[in-house]
Amino acid sequence: MASKLSHSIGTHTRLWYLIDARHQVVGRLASMVALLLQGKNKPIYHPSVDTGDHVVVINTGHAVLTGSKWDKKLYRHHTGYPGGLKEIVAKQLHQKNPTMILRRAVNGMLPKNLQRKHRMRRLHLYPDSAHSHALNITHQLPGPCPVFKTLSDYSSEEITSFPDIVTRISHL
Amino acid sequence: VPRVKAGTTRRARHKAVLATTKGHRAARSSRYRVAKESMLHALDYATRHRKLKKRQNRALAITRINAAAREHGLSYSSLINGLKKAEITLDRKSLADLSIRQPSAFAKVVASAKAEL
Repeated sequence: MASKLSHSIGTHTRLWYLIDARHQVVGRLASMVALLLQGKNKPIYHPSVDTGDHVVVINTGHAVLTGSKWDKKLYRHHTGYPGGLKEIVAKQLHQKNPTMILRRAVNGMLPKNLQRKHRMRRLHLYPDSAHSHALNITHQLPGPCPVFKTLSDYSSEEITSFPDIVTRISHL
Repeated sequence: VPRVKAGTTRRARHKAVLATTKGHRAARSSRYRVAKESMLHALDYATRHRKLKKRQNRALAITRINAAAREHGLSYSSLINGLKKAEITLDRKSLADLSIRQPSAFAKVVASAKAEL
């Protein structure tokens, strides 16, 4: 018998997701965030109802653009006046406001309808780890890109006990 | 041909059209000439959207199944592939309904599909 007994208080509420953007590629992260803002990860999704959640992204200042996009990717807008095409390179836009690149990416990935404005209002971007939503966060999600460990993430014992491959190979 | 007055037939024709436009906005439900156009559009939309409804419902069911399958670590395409191999003939409407109202049953369906992949 079909029932809603399996639904909990969390089924129909707006959840708050926390995502760390450090070492995450902007486009891939934006794609994941756009899906969360739309609520397309929920089986109760319906296009007429905004089933989206809040998403808090921290460390947007440390997000990654691959290739030479920092120097070559242009963000353009036209002011409406003749000759008013304004272009700014990703690096300069990032210096001006470190959340803008991710905000524009997510904005472009949401469906262009009346719900887009409301969904963007549920996106909270912070350039560093400080954010003011600690009481609201329900889940922390890993980003879409795997985060690799750098040399400083290994302890000194692990570094010294790592098998010595280089000198062994030079033996042969 | 001798002269024929409209008589009462015109009123009857107009009333028939106005009866179909009940609830239409402003003059579209009260004035015959505007109501006739409104009626023609409405009938056209009704015909077209009876077919469209079936497409939209299927697309919505697929979106929902995709979301529910990903909660179990599968994509929609893999799930459908697994169900075909397991010879489970549940249609997308049933699968979507299960995923919302009987998630434990849906989990078993996903497990059967995963077993065949």
